[in-house]
Amino acid sequence: MLIIDEYLAMRVLGGRRWPEGLPKTEDLVLPTSRWWRLLQRIHAPGSGQLSRILSQLDPSDRDTLRYPHPEVLQILDSRPLLDEAAQIGSRFRGGWLVDETLAAGLHHGRCLWFGTDRNVGKLLASAADELGITIHIAG
Amino acid sequence: MAMAVIDVVEERRRRRLAGDPRMTDAGRDIFERITRGDLADEFQAALDADLVADPLLGGHPVDPD
Repeated sequence: MLIIDEYLAMRVLGGRRWPEGLPKTEDLVLPTSRWWRLLQRIHAPGSGQLSRILSQLDPSDRDTLRYPHPEVLQILDSRPLLDEAAQIGSRFRGGWLVDETLAAGLHHGRCLWFGTDRNVGKLLASAADELGITIHIAG
Repeated sequence: MAMAVIDVVEERRRRRLAGDPRMTDAGRDIFERITRGDLADEFQAALDADLVADPLLGGHPVDPD
C-alpha cells in the first residue's frame, strides 16, 4: 500500500502514462485531506483556465474523482490514525493535510509518494525527515 | 490454485495500469495537462490556496504565547 498525492492520483486515474518510478504492484491510497483538495477543484471552482476546463469534463470523468474506483485508487480511512496525527500536529503545527499525510506515511512503509516536489512543502519535508519517512518523487 | 491467485493479481495490476475505465479520452488528456502539462502551475496554485484559505487544513501560525 503506497500513500500518494493528488498529482499521482490523477495520473493513475487517467492511465495515459504510468508515473516513472512508482511501483506497479501496490494498492495506491490517497489521504482524505488530499482527496478533499481534488474535490474542491470540482465543487468549488475558481475563475481561471483550470476551473473552466474542469467544468467541461464529462460526468463520468468527474465521477472518477468523486467516487474513485478502488482497484485504481483507494481513499485512506484516517480514523485509526487520528490519535497519531494529532500528536504529529501538536509537534509540527502543520495542519490536517500535513498531519494526516505524515501519520499515513508512518503506518505504511515510512514512505510517501509525490508527483512533483512542488507539492511536498517545506514543513512536510522537514517533518518527514525527523520522523524517518522517505519522500519519493515519481514523474 | 497458485496459478489462479497469480492470475488475479496480474489482472488487478493490469486494470490499475489502464487507469479508471470510466475515463473518456478527452478526460485523460485533461488530467495529463493538469498534472504534467500547461495547467500544472495553475493546479499547484489552487492546491496551495486551499491551505491558506482553510486553517484546519493548512495549519495555524504558531502563537508564541
